[in-house]
Amino acid sequence: MPPKLDELTIARRAARELPPGQVVALGPGLPCRIPSVLPANAPMQFLSESGVLGYATRNAVDQTIAAPIVDANGQPAALNPGASLLSTVDLAGMLRGGHIAAAVLQPFQVNAAGDFIHWTTAAAPGLFPPGNGVDLAAARRVIAMLPHTGADGSSNLVSAVLPLADGRRCVDLIVTDVAVIRVEENGFVLSELAPGWTADEIAAITAAPLALAPDLREMPLDPPDFSAATPAGKVYPDAPAALHDLHDGATVMIDGFGGPGGMAHYLLVSLRDKGSGGLTIISNTAGIARSVNFGTPPGRLAIDHSILIDNQQVAKAIATYPVSPSASRPSSFELAYRRGEVELELVPQGTLAERLRAGGAGIAAFYTPTGVGTLIAEGKETRTIDGKEYLLEQGLQADFCLIRGYQADTLGNVVYKGTSRNFNAVMAPAARVTIVEVDEIVAPGQLDPELIVTPGVYVHRIVRRPPDFSAYE
Amino acid sequence: MPASKVYTSPAAALADLSAGASILLSGFADCGAPGGLLTALSHCGIGGLTCIYAHAGPETAEPYAAVSRLAAAGRVKKIISPLPFPPGKGGVIQERWQSGNLDIEIVPQGILAERLRAGGAGIGGVFLPTGIDTRFEQGREKRSFPSGDAIFYPPLKADFALLQAAAADTLGSVIYAGSGRNWGPVMAMAARITVAEAGRIVEPGGLDPEAIITPGIFVNRIVAARPD
Repeated sequence: MPPKLDELTIARRAARELPPGQVVALGPGLPCRIPSVLPANAPMQFLSESGVLGYATRNAVDQTIAAPIVDANGQPAALNPGASLLSTVDLAGMLRGGHIAAAVLQPFQVNAAGDFIHWTTAAAPGLFPPGNGVDLAAARRVIAMLPHTGADGSSNLVSAVLPLADGRRCVDLIVTDVAVIRVEENGFVLSELAPGWTADEIAAITAAPLALAPDLREMPLDPPDFSAATPAGKVYPDAPAALHDLHDGATVMIDGFGGPGGMAHYLLVSLRDKGSGGLTIISNTAGIARSVNFGTPPGRLAIDHSILIDNQQVAKAIATYPVSPSASRPSSFELAYRRGEVELELVPQGTLAERLRAGGAGIAAFYTPTGVGTLIAEGKETRTIDGKEYLLEQGLQADFCLIRGYQADTLGNVVYKGTSRNFNAVMAPAARVTIVEVDEIVAPGQLDPELIVTPGVYVHRIVRRPPDFSAYE
Repeated sequence: MPASKVYTSPAAALADLSAGASILLSGFADCGAPGGLLTALSHCGIGGLTCIYAHAGPETAEPYAAVSRLAAAGRVKKIISPLPFPPGKGGVIQERWQSGNLDIEIVPQGILAERLRAGGAGIGGVFLPTGIDTRFEQGREKRSFPSGDAIFYPPLKADFALLQAAAADTLGSVIYAGSGRNWGPVMAMAARITVAEAGRIVEPGGLDPEAIITPGIFVNRIVAARPD
């Protein structure tokens, strides 16, 4: 039989599949070879279960590294400009929440339904430890990289049901040392052959039916060329441009605690000017700074959610404190609620934060002790766990999220300042489109990777707040 | 004066570790594994331990190597881990498991992380889509939500958590370095007693408040890492 491809050549072929401008998770084993076949400036960021988002091979980046940085194999790696560091729980939520465009993993076996057994699972019979293979399966596209056959010559691509599968119906593409195979509705489709191999030879070492792609071709083995790839930038010229598709009836998360700090005032004013109606807002307050005047200069009004309510754009609020602390100075939302113009879902503050986190981290629901035995519990499932009573609460998601950062780099990595961090960090991952308003936009590498609070994978659009933009009007 | 969190040695910080304790061990391929605390744990003679950790990297990597030493001494009763030893190289942990002298519970990485977070954050349990239609859903409650099917996983807590920090202040607030962050933040939340081994110990104010990853409320004891 013709020679099989070596690991680096397989890595070069797999690298051609990576989506420019996106984050790609690389599992342990063969996938860790991928960064070494790409230039450091390849237009995607790599995520490793070691807690690094945006790494490159050690020799690819001319950078002195004080901190230990490793890849999923535990091998030394380096930080690319725009990298951030994550804890295990953060990166698990990133994968589970569907934020990762693609994962490359190494299965021991894949079947024609796209089920796979991770190589670590097969390496310990009886125990079957998947490591993070189960988590990688949650990426939006899963690319498998593996030898076509095992040491005994048996096929690693099978038609059999895999009782030990670590993921079901998730593998989209398989790159082996002899072929590229797509996993489609009806099973494996052979789309590329390693040089010298014929379709019959591949079929002979594959333990599953193999359809031939109409465009079956020889595998291109030259290094991937991403020079023509121009991923859409995240920086928008102004707030109206960043809000261009914020439609009537949208659900919008709005950051902020209570006072004028930590609110995306520029985006809020722009949303009022745009006039989108029938909005559901998810926020800590539903606007109290305007009515309470926390230090507002005389004769001026604080900008907050109230400007949307006064403009009759809000149909519903999901909030923790939608009222004014002063009975004599009711908030716009209170007045609208009394008039029957808006709906309200009242959520305790910690429960709101946890529901937002759940929404962002792919957690369907959770049990919390908060609110047991109060009005909050009405209509909700309760459950006694280890002698303590809990309420079932579900994750919250939104179409848009408006947050206020201090600085962002052009990849969307954000740092906050002081108490303006508040709900920003937990909201940003929970929306389909997260828009950040910052005082300063910097180049990747200008923010300390250890200090990044919201990684760019959660931020889709960035606008600079005009330097003279006031929190008051 | 409230009792200081700073202990004079790793052994002193583990003095009340008792037989049968459960211990969370941070570290990924040697990054973030608290070497001094692991050595003290090896020497303290306490048995019946439940060790919760993840292996990554070479066969010599901590905290796996330390757990192997404990297992060889017959001091480990149970391991909870996504990957308890290097693939294909099970060593003493695999031997003791096969001979029925050590129990191993396999929990996929993201599920373990979330169970620890639930334990640390007072959550009674979580419904996760992770593991749907796989062996991990066997024996567990499964439900449909608007977001899709999900499996119930209970919280997980432990008696001790041992982690490595780049620096700590004397109130216990912690920063990490590079890949050393890994399990530290979530394990710190989930233990009754969290011990941080810090490369530097500074007075309050010596760490940038914006940079602190694990607030001191989660850290009960601090020991100085000895320079290697």
